[in-house]
Amino acid sequence: MDQPDIDLRNATYGLFVDLGRAPTLEETAAAVGAPASKVEEGWRRLHEAHALVLDLPQAAIRMANPFSAVPTTFRVHAADRAWYANCAWDAFGICVVLGADGRIETSCPDCGDAINVEVRDMRPDDESLLFHCLVPAAHWWDDIVFT
Amino acid sequence: MNLFRSEDHIERWLAGRPPGGTIPVAKLAELAEEWWGDRLAPDWRPHTFEQNQAILDRLGLTGDFWRLG
Repeated sequence: MDQPDIDLRNATYGLFVDLGRAPTLEETAAAVGAPASKVEEGWRRLHEAHALVLDLPQAAIRMANPFSAVPTTFRVHAADRAWYANCAWDAFGICVVLGADGRIETSCPDCGDAINVEVRDMRPDDESLLFHCLVPAAHWWDDIVFT
Repeated sequence: MNLFRSEDHIERWLAGRPPGGTIPVAKLAELAEEWWGDRLAPDWRPHTFEQNQAILDRLGLTGDFWRLG
């Protein structure tokens, strides 16, 4: 990954945090002062490098991990905003990247009961909960949306 | 990659599928801190395979399931 793509990636993440949602192609192009076509080319390279995830074939951001651009079953309240995470791991990740305490709202996939976790200093308030990962690590990126 | 109340809930949800990896939520919080800690850093660089595997290993997430490839 070359420096211009790293810069584009960092700008995209910065916009995501500033806006509280995924930036569009046009918003990102305006922010970095580049044509949308160049930003799209860069995003596609970043997608191939697993540095962000596009909702292909569109050039729209699906994931800037740990953030999700679309609603999920993992809602995170942190830094005076509400965010969607891609999974439980990413839900904690949002608190980490924002450097903020937070509240994770999700539900048990088995019984549907609400699971709410307060995160303080990166520690969960309910340590009885379990995290289960179905897909082996070697296959996480085979289908990252499913993973 | 979900949170569950207990092993029983995981087993019911799996409905006969082979189980994956299960860790306590406190371990997940540690993992998130190590994995995502530099994600918004101005000097961010992509993690190498070896760096990511080292994070898993350091947290005791070893064995075939936690091998990245």
